[in-house]
Amino acid sequence: MTERVDLQEFIGGFVVEAAELVTAANAALLEIEAGHAEGTSRPKAVRDVFRALHTIKGLAGMVGVEAIVDIAHGLETLIRTADRAGGQLSRAAVEVALQGVRAIGERVRAVSEQRTPAAAPPRLLEAIASTDATGDAPAVAPQVSAELDARLSPSERAQLANAVAAGAPAWMLSFAPSESNAARGVTIGSVRSRLATLGEIVKVAPRTVTGPSGAQLGIAFDILVVSSAPRETLADAIAASLESVAPVLAPPPPPVAQAPLPAGPGAEPSTRELAERDDATADVVPIGRAVIRVELSRLDELQEQLSLLTVSRFRLEREIAAMADAGHDVRRLRQVADLQGRQLRDLRRAILRARMVRVAEVLEPLSLLVRSLARSSERAVRLELDARDTELDKAVADRLLPAMVHLVRNAVDHAIEPAAERRARGKPEAGTIRVACTEIAGNQLELVVSDDGRGIDRAAIARRSERTIDHDADLLDVLCGPGFSTRDVATRTSGRGLGMDIVRRIAVSDLGGELRLATTPGAGTSFTMRIPLTISIVEVFAFACGRQAFVVPVSAIEEIFEIADAGITPPSAPGGRSQVSLLERRGRAIPMFSLGRELAIDDGAAARKAMVIRRGGEAVAFSVDRMLGRQEVVVRAIDDPLVQAPGIAGATDLGDGRPTLVLDLGELGLAARERQLP
Amino acid sequence: MTATLHVTFRVGNATYAVAASDVLHLESYDTATHVPGAPSYVAGLVQVRGRLVPVIDLRIRFGLPPADASAPGPPASQAAIDRRVVVLQLGTRVAGLVVDSAREVLKIEDTAFERPPEIVVHQTAGFVKAVATVAKRMYLLVDLPRILGEELDHG
Repeated sequence: MTERVDLQEFIGGFVVEAAELVTAANAALLEIEAGHAEGTSRPKAVRDVFRALHTIKGLAGMVGVEAIVDIAHGLETLIRTADRAGGQLSRAAVEVALQGVRAIGERVRAVSEQRTPAAAPPRLLEAIASTDATGDAPAVAPQVSAELDARLSPSERAQLANAVAAGAPAWMLSFAPSESNAARGVTIGSVRSRLATLGEIVKVAPRTVTGPSGAQLGIAFDILVVSSAPRETLADAIAASLESVAPVLAPPPPPVAQAPLPAGPGAEPSTRELAERDDATADVVPIGRAVIRVELSRLDELQEQLSLLTVSRFRLEREIAAMADAGHDVRRLRQVADLQGRQLRDLRRAILRARMVRVAEVLEPLSLLVRSLARSSERAVRLELDARDTELDKAVADRLLPAMVHLVRNAVDHAIEPAAERRARGKPEAGTIRVACTEIAGNQLELVVSDDGRGIDRAAIARRSERTIDHDADLLDVLCGPGFSTRDVATRTSGRGLGMDIVRRIAVSDLGGELRLATTPGAGTSFTMRIPLTISIVEVFAFACGRQAFVVPVSAIEEIFEIADAGITPPSAPGGRSQVSLLERRGRAIPMFSLGRELAIDDGAAARKAMVIRRGGEAVAFSVDRMLGRQEVVVRAIDDPLVQAPGIAGATDLGDGRPTLVLDLGELGLAARERQLP
Repeated sequence: MTATLHVTFRVGNATYAVAASDVLHLESYDTATHVPGAPSYVAGLVQVRGRLVPVIDLRIRFGLPPADASAPGPPASQAAIDRRVVVLQLGTRVAGLVVDSAREVLKIEDTAFERPPEIVVHQTAGFVKAVATVAKRMYLLVDLPRILGEELDHG
């Protein structure tokens, strides 16, 4: 682990995640308890509890909270037993697990309040260890043939038992795919989906069909289903005769055997009571108040509102200008408007900030990666992570990490020499990989991955690639070329190459950044990546208007249609700037603006398509020349005041290396409408 | 005496200079993406090494006829080949200037700069903040914040 990273940075993240997992584990345990009351088992819930506990254990280990690790470990062992036994968890086990999860929750809370969590209570650990995981679980043993039973896993057996307990018969179907079936569209896939509508599929097992001489004739599937559908329907579903549908077991005699489990006074608390008891305890007080998780879509909503505000500000500016033209003194009004403009910019920045995550947290997995890579390659490697207080957009962070993993992995695998070699060269035995991150001008982040390894042998790469390599830039080009991999090169001498095309694609194409390389033979290599702090990925329609290509988010468009005629143009008031025409669409009159005219780029070409947007209930259409396609793009903010204009939401690269503008038609629609209305 | 490295470029028939420390790189210029609604002197957006850069057409900014009009037709396309974008960094902003040509990097003594005659300041709308004469050639030092419309950012 790196000395430079403050553990405290991860605590916030740990608290949020652990608290969620505690909630999930509790919910799943209560569901299992509900299953007890109904006499059924809940293998999926058991699995959920197991997963939650397993993750809590891992997280707690990372931040070094041993008390939680101990309790989670004990519970994990208990529940794994139940999971292996078909997902049945005894009532005693559920009880002790709920206690254990509560104890974990208390300790997570202690961590969030910066108290030292109490050690795991020995009595609790003992209770967990001595509890019989499966003991008194509802045993509805399915009566199936020994042959079939042997093919079922415990959880499939439990699933079968539950389904049958619910009152449906089980069937074994035999489906043989054939050319004639396939020609009619009947395949194992279609059979599966058909059967899924008729009942519950427990197991699908392929088997080889052999002829009398022992020759392989083909493959067939045994499908175990529980279904109340008539035998004929099932046979029809697999396009086979009745013989292919064999009854496996009849439903058990109803109610008596299914009597509800005792839940009277003195017995186990019912689910309801348990839930209420939980409500009454401190468990419901939220943990880690300082951090909340917010759906990105809510932040988008905020941004939407902000753009409305921006439009009304443009309108205010216009009014002030008109007043000034009329000879009024607008100085004080303008001061207020200017102040408001600055506040709007601050608001926009604040909203962007809400999408930011700490780079130190994003890169944290690299520590674990280096540790495990160093171990497997038997090299001593130290990772120094220095991200200071930098932050970046969540969407960028998610794309960035794979590139960083590639760079760091390459450094461990190819750059750092074995200890003996390093000693011989007079270097410290342990290699150092440094990942440094700083924010630079222009809303960019600079990430440098450097190592003190052997450097890249340019000459070897040049020979190998049959290219002359004069600069590090050429070298990077070769390394990032498609198909250049360490498999083609003598790894020990040439250094890296593995996945460099991916690194460059992420840095340059996906994130719109840049990648550079500097290497000194014998002394080390550094990769420098510059990426924007924020991006957003949006699905867009691309279209042409006035000899220029634009894109608009698919989500903003309600409908696109061919313009059969230009619609009708109502008389225009004197001095009206733009012309609105009216289009008939499904019995409604929709106002339509020419986008080319709105943007003052009209080249007189006939508009052939109309895009309908809806803003505040009313539909508005924009006419454009023609549609170019639909694709996913990285939208980048344009924040320089030189290029900020109403309706321009950002820019993207459609693949031709030139910026293409992203339009906010909603904003343009509002602006156009407001101009029309007095 | 100290001398500062400057990047020099031509627009129209004059040679201008900016401090080399403000210049990120020189790029060839083909065309920019027009941004509707932006000031008329903004040629648009270009992508330089993956970065979105707004560019100002200095001919328009300086009130000269557009380059296309002054050098029409294929035979004159040398002019188009010579055009460059001077990519500048000013504080946190990165922007480019489209110029007719840019080749020279020159050390100019700090004392060589003089305040231009008042009438020039007035005529160039304050875009020229000093004039230096080196080897009988005149270099006009431009006021970058003014050219980049810094006032735009302050309401």
